[in-house]
This record gives sequence, structure tokens and C-alpha cells, in this order.
Amino acid sequence: MSDVGRRKSMTHPLRDKAAVSGIGETAYTRGTPKSGLALQLEASLAAIEDAGLSPRDIDGVVPYFPGSGIAEDFAANLGLPDLKLSVFVPMGGASCVAAIQTAAMAVATGVCNHVLISVGRTGYSGARVSTRLQQFPQFALAAEFEAPIGMFAPAQLYAQGARRHMALYGTTARHFAEIAVVTRQHAILNGNVVMNKPLTVEEHHASRMIADPFRLFDCSLESDGGAAIIVSAADQARDLRKPLVTVMGVAEGHPESPASIAQRPDLLEFGLARAAPRAYAMAGVGPQDMDLAEIYDCFTFTVINQLELLGFCKKGEGGPFIMDGRIKVGGDLPLNTHGGLLSQGHVVGLNHVIELTRQLRRDAGKAQVKDAELGLVTGYGDMGDGAVAILRRAA
Amino acid sequence: MSTTASPSVPERPLPTPTRESQPYWDGLREGRFMLQHCSACGRVRHYPRPVCPHCFSMESAYKEMPTGGIIHSWTVCHHPFNFYFKATAPYVVALVDMDAGVRVNAQIRGIAEGDLAIGKRVRLAFEPVTKDVTLPYFVAG
Repeated sequence: MSDVGRRKSMTHPLRDKAAVSGIGETAYTRGTPKSGLALQLEASLAAIEDAGLSPRDIDGVVPYFPGSGIAEDFAANLGLPDLKLSVFVPMGGASCVAAIQTAAMAVATGVCNHVLISVGRTGYSGARVSTRLQQFPQFALAAEFEAPIGMFAPAQLYAQGARRHMALYGTTARHFAEIAVVTRQHAILNGNVVMNKPLTVEEHHASRMIADPFRLFDCSLESDGGAAIIVSAADQARDLRKPLVTVMGVAEGHPESPASIAQRPDLLEFGLARAAPRAYAMAGVGPQDMDLAEIYDCFTFTVINQLELLGFCKKGEGGPFIMDGRIKVGGDLPLNTHGGLLSQGHVVGLNHVIELTRQLRRDAGKAQVKDAELGLVTGYGDMGDGAVAILRRAA
Repeated sequence: MSTTASPSVPERPLPTPTRESQPYWDGLREGRFMLQHCSACGRVRHYPRPVCPHCFSMESAYKEMPTGGIIHSWTVCHHPFNFYFKATAPYVVALVDMDAGVRVNAQIRGIAEGDLAIGKRVRLAFEPVTKDVTLPYFVAG
């Protein structure tokens, strides 16, 4: 533990009070006959089974919104006898990790025992990204002021920040490619992934431009799949099926100018910059203590930017930081050990939470980080909302 | 043209002005760059909204502002996420720090991609696209 952790005299009331007790996911594919709701429920049942619970034990639900299932669907399909909490956390790509904070508060206070967080998405066979975003009330300003001039998709909206980072700090496409290539290597170790062929730096550089500086292989996948986790009160999770993984720290953060990147004073400073210090303070640890990290990778560059905001390196140094094998399994800071949104599948980052939990259970197969005890997972989205959870393997 | 069933010309995404933003769009239609200002503390704000985030006054007024600015960043959009833009892709969208104290995102016309640079001076121009809607774009300033 860090010096900061040892000096901390007051323990945060939420620290280690919640646990990720169950994880479940479907196959990640491009093409499915199943509905988004069916994928979401399939993953939910798998997570409940993984925890050693019955669907009847679920008394809180946080479905991804806007998405497939709502509380009524869970009550109707899982026969939930007494649902005590139904909330949405509409923060785009930050929703799933921010939902851990909401769920942790619910189980730590005794409102709920077992909260189900879930996503089901037909991002390939159903509506694509630019259509889905039009369902977001948070995108109203982008729809009014930016869609008419030809700028609406996240690749376009975040590209201007990436361009600025390159101009200010000398970050290059080679740095972007390193994220894409290593993430692909990790995907191949996992196996349940959409992209299962190796990727080279040259193939990355040769891929077509989407929104300069983002090429095709800088962008996350449009895929079909479902994912779910159960957040339980830690004292109840101790007796469940799998090794105990607790939520040591968790926080969400919202940026200046939350609904418009264009009007944000610093394009490279967003909600995670506010969330990270809170989560570290709650956990009593710092970035130097992490055995691995699962970083929301809607774009390659987004990983670099978040590593800076998380304090793994200084602002502007994210590009060089990720080079030379540092982020590979076996390196100093293994990242996105499952293949992430770039190569495994896009279930809004709930797959990142699942992977971190699996790693801390020492159940990550060929991608296992040796002796993993402590790691963090981020969510990023909705024009710059951020969330971070620090999970640890309980002694 | 093909006589088989082909998709009609895709619809151009157009703004749906709100009660707060209507004067901004009215201004563009008249060839004027109008921005919302707080009537109490005088500060400019964009995009338009009901309350001043600095002093919380709900009184505001629109004033015509200068059209110059410098490039803050840009992207070249190659993939048309909306089919309307397929015909014109690739196109450049620049984020500009306006002299007026806000940012505007709009397409840049008439500047070669190799000449784009952060800090380059540009000027906002007006392109009528329907009877009601005029959109901003940038040209070399």
C-alpha cells in the first residue's frame, strides 16, 4: 500500500463495503438473431449463476440507458419478487462504472443486497452509433449546433482533442497504433472476441481515415453482445461462490461544459480528472499501486488521455508512456487485458469491469496478470463524463 | 439515373432552435453573428441557455459580435456517419476560438488541408441552406 494509504486515518464509509460478486457475458459477435434485451438477460442470468445466487435474490437493477432493458423487463423476465431500486445512470460510456458507485451506495446502506448492472447491445446488427446517439437527451446541443455542420459521431467530436494533443505534445499515430496492436494481442489471449487475428502497426497505419487523426483501427467496434455484473454487500458476498473482490474506491466526475466538448476550456480535461482523486482518496491508494488497469477505449487516443488524467504519467506524456511493452501482459502496467472495446466487443465498458474482476480472481486464463491484487477500471463517455472504480482481491 | 428502388436524397440534418437559441439562428439568417449576453453581469455565453452560470440571472439579450477567430483544433471528416455528407466528404470541421469569447464549430472552406494549423486566423461566413436556416462556415481571415 502507498504512503498515502498508510497515513489515511479516516476510512471512507463506502470503502470495501461492496463487492463485485458475479460476472456474466454473452459471446461477442458481429451479427446475432437475438434482441438487445435477450442478450442483456442472457448475460444477467450468467452473472447471477456466477455469483451462486438465484434471480429471486436480485433486489436492485441499473440497466444501461438508453439501451435495451428497463426495470420492468427484469421484473417480468426474472420474476423479481421485491425490487427495491431501479435507476439509470445516463453517462454514456461512463455509465457502467458510475453505476458501481450507485450500487455500492445502495448495498452499503442496506437499501439493497444484490444490484444487477447490465448492458445488452445490437450495435452491429441493430442501430449504429449515430442513430443511437440521437436517443440521448445529453446530445441535444450537439444535434442543434454540430450535426448540421457534419459533426455528430463520437469519432468526429473527439478527434479535435486528439489533434490538439498531437500538436501540443508531439503524440503520434505510432502511439495510437501501440494501443491498437497490444489490445489486439490481448484479445487473442481471451478468445471470446470479435477481432481474433493479429494486427500490425503497418496495418493500423494503412487503415482508412475515419475522422483525422482517427483511423479505422483507432475506433472501437460496433458489435453485438451482452454483459452484466452483480454488486453485493461485501459481508454477504463473502459467502458466495467466487473469491471476494471488493470495491475499494469508486467515483464519477463531470466536466466543465458537460454537454458540449466545443465550449470546454480544455478539450483534454474531462470528468475523470475530478473522479480519479476522489476514488484514490476513498481507496487510500494511488496509481503507482495498480497491478493492472482496464481503461475505457472508445478510441486509442482516449486511453492515452485517461492515463494522464489518472496520474500514471504527466500531462502530455501518455504517448511515450505506453510504449516499449509497458502495457502488455507481463509489462509494468498491463492494460485492457481482454481486448477492450477496440478488439473484444462494445458493451459500454462493462466488459472492462468483468475482466478486472476475473483478473483479481486469478481466473483470466492466458491473459492472467501474475499475482494481481489491485486494479482500476474506467468509464468515459457522453462528451466527457468519467468514472473510475478501484477493485481489490480481498485477503 | 437508376430506375430501381434507390434511397431518396438523404435529408440534411438541420437545427431545431429552442426558445433560448432562436435569436442566434435568426441572426445567422440575417448575416449577423449574434450571441447571448447576461443582462446582469454582461458575460457572453454559448451555447444559449436560460440561466447565466456566473451570476444566475435569467435576464439576457443578444448582441452582434465580431466574426474573426483563430483555429483551436480541427478534424478532417472522411467517413460520413450521416449519409447526407457522403457527397461532400472529406470535409474539414474546425473548432475556432472566436474573438467574441466563445467557440464555434463549423466547416472550413478554401484552405488546403496542409495549411491548417492551430492559431491560424479565420473568419466566420454565412451559408443559407433553407429559407429558415443559415449555417456558419469559416474562410481564411
